[in-house]
Amino acid sequence: MPRPIHLWAFLQGIGHYPSGWRHPGAEPEGVFTMDYYARVGRLVEKGRFDAIVFGDQLQSRGVRGRTPEHLAMPTLDPMALLTAIASVTQHVGLVNTLSTTYWSPEGLAERFATMDRMSGGRAGWNIVTTAHPDTAPNFGDEELPEKSQRYKMAAQTVAQAQAIWRERNAALGPSPQARPVFVQAGQSGDGRDFAASIAEAIFCSAPTIEEGIAFRNDMRARVAAAGRDPDAVRIMPGLSFILAETEAAAIAKDQAILDLADEALCIEYLSESLNCDLTGFDPAGPIPVDHILSQTCFPKADIGRALEKPAAIGLPLGKFASGYVRTPRGHNVFRGTASQLANMMIQWVEAGACDGFTLQPAYMPGELEIFVEEVVPILQAAGALRTEYPGSTLRETMGLPRWPADMAA
Amino acid sequence: MTRSFILSAGIGDPALADPAMAAQFVTAAEAAGVDLLMLGRHDSLPFDPQVIAAWAAPRVSRLGLVPLVSSRIAHPFHVARALSAVDYLSGGLLGWCPVAQGGSAAQLADLVRATRALWDGWDDDCLIIDKASGRYLDTTKVRPSNYVGTHYAVRGPVNAMRPKQGHPVLVCDAASPFAVPGLDVVIAAEGQAFPAAARRLLRVDAGADLAAMAARFEAGEIDGLHIDLTNPAAELARIGKALAPLTQGRPSAGTLRERLGLPLSLRNIHEEIA
Repeated sequence: MPRPIHLWAFLQGIGHYPSGWRHPGAEPEGVFTMDYYARVGRLVEKGRFDAIVFGDQLQSRGVRGRTPEHLAMPTLDPMALLTAIASVTQHVGLVNTLSTTYWSPEGLAERFATMDRMSGGRAGWNIVTTAHPDTAPNFGDEELPEKSQRYKMAAQTVAQAQAIWRERNAALGPSPQARPVFVQAGQSGDGRDFAASIAEAIFCSAPTIEEGIAFRNDMRARVAAAGRDPDAVRIMPGLSFILAETEAAAIAKDQAILDLADEALCIEYLSESLNCDLTGFDPAGPIPVDHILSQTCFPKADIGRALEKPAAIGLPLGKFASGYVRTPRGHNVFRGTASQLANMMIQWVEAGACDGFTLQPAYMPGELEIFVEEVVPILQAAGALRTEYPGSTLRETMGLPRWPADMAA
Repeated sequence: MTRSFILSAGIGDPALADPAMAAQFVTAAEAAGVDLLMLGRHDSLPFDPQVIAAWAAPRVSRLGLVPLVSSRIAHPFHVARALSAVDYLSGGLLGWCPVAQGGSAAQLADLVRATRALWDGWDDDCLIIDKASGRYLDTTKVRPSNYVGTHYAVRGPVNAMRPKQGHPVLVCDAASPFAVPGLDVVIAAEGQAFPAAARRLLRVDAGADLAAMAARFEAGEIDGLHIDLTNPAAELARIGKALAPLTQGRPSAGTLRERLGLPLSLRNIHEEIA
């Protein structure tokens, strides 16, 4: 029997590709309706996924208050969406992203305790510290705390929340999981150590099987060094996918979705990534490097380095932006048939590159429907994916100890 | 236009955070003709009422959900986002009742103003969503709020859509009053001052003579009743029966705001009314 594969659906927005909302199989209006989320929740449960994960930010898309015209931004509050999905499903876990920098321990403890109760023990918390400088003014601050300071605050906030949960559980009877499952996605040294100290599942990027193995080995060593059991932590790298009848057809489909990213979309997307509004510049003109460096509040050295080569060869702004959108960054992007994808997933898990995948459909819900209809049965026939859920709580579904050690009375 | 009687009921019992109990309460409230189900009481917030409202959203067809929002732990940026989402998920059946829970009335009013300012950063008609042209929205219809108040400063734009109703129905409990223009509904007990609001509900016990109270609606003194429930399932059945003559035959379609005959255009309400 192959090792079991855990599946998560990362469903913020309406797909992984910035142009995905324009695909005929995308339903961008749906994200404002309960019917859409009910359908997606049932679909994911049909595919026997562990959980739905919503990412989150605490700032709007765009730059300096200019909201993009060509990028979809259906960022309704994920806690509300996930709890509503809990109301119409029975098994699927619900992992909500929430910031330790811009939530109080009391506020987040209460929010997750309620979510765990209302979902019958299916709540997870993707613990983030918030990295975007534009968030600070939404909370009356001028700038973000510096990174290592944010991680210190995160550790404190988590500890305070744990104390509140212990106290409330003792007074009211425990919520079904005692506390939400802890999920973390830090890639830096600080982030990895923080994850090793508390995370029960880790979301990461692993573009190749070798990078997956290296990351998982590193994390397991850090988890063991923190005095915890590495087998009680699930490593879940991101995986975007484009499926078709043949590999050539999948590549053509991928190209067609990328072609939906017109120049206007690409320049807005690049503007957001550089934190500098480029929509007023001539797409046929040069990349305005000096302007970008004077405007951005992202690290100037990194941006300067990234722009150096394209500016030196005289690449026009529009072409640079289009190339930027078309270049995969970080996550593994699969293009091929359902059986090729299933084989790749089994191979990665067998090789110790991960414990499962955080699936990022290129567009929603169409591409996820194809995955559930075509890939899930192959994984199940191979004995790599469950056909029934083992229990009712998210920890049971993930094959983790039901009661986390830190919640013992 | 005939006046419609408004029936409000409130649950402060921690059983509300038990999904099996909450399901019973929501079903019973809907069957009893309740318009506003207050989730929590000003002196008793069972867990996080905003999360309970999200859970209840797919289960209501005409029942308005009114989470109590405590300025003790709430922040306007988080409140604006959560309530926007629940308003969409419930099909426009959301209200909200801010309460101070020991904090100041000034902070509570500031929370309301900041939250409204974030919602007003988005126009009702900002979305285009045209796959053919690739235009998702009209950027001229979205702007930072740049709100600076007595307790909160929030720049925006908030990363949430303007709520389906523009603003969810704003309810004020006179037990935790706050002064902002454009209150939709106010709840006050006998002898308590009613802050200015579009609709006035009298707070009564579940054991009160409801028919006699209802006569005061006919006389035009009040617009409806609010009842604090202590044994929700049983009391809701009795209330529904006692008030059936007033609650039956009222419109059941539309958003909560439409059904209660409340103002629909709320843009920059703080400037227009103040």
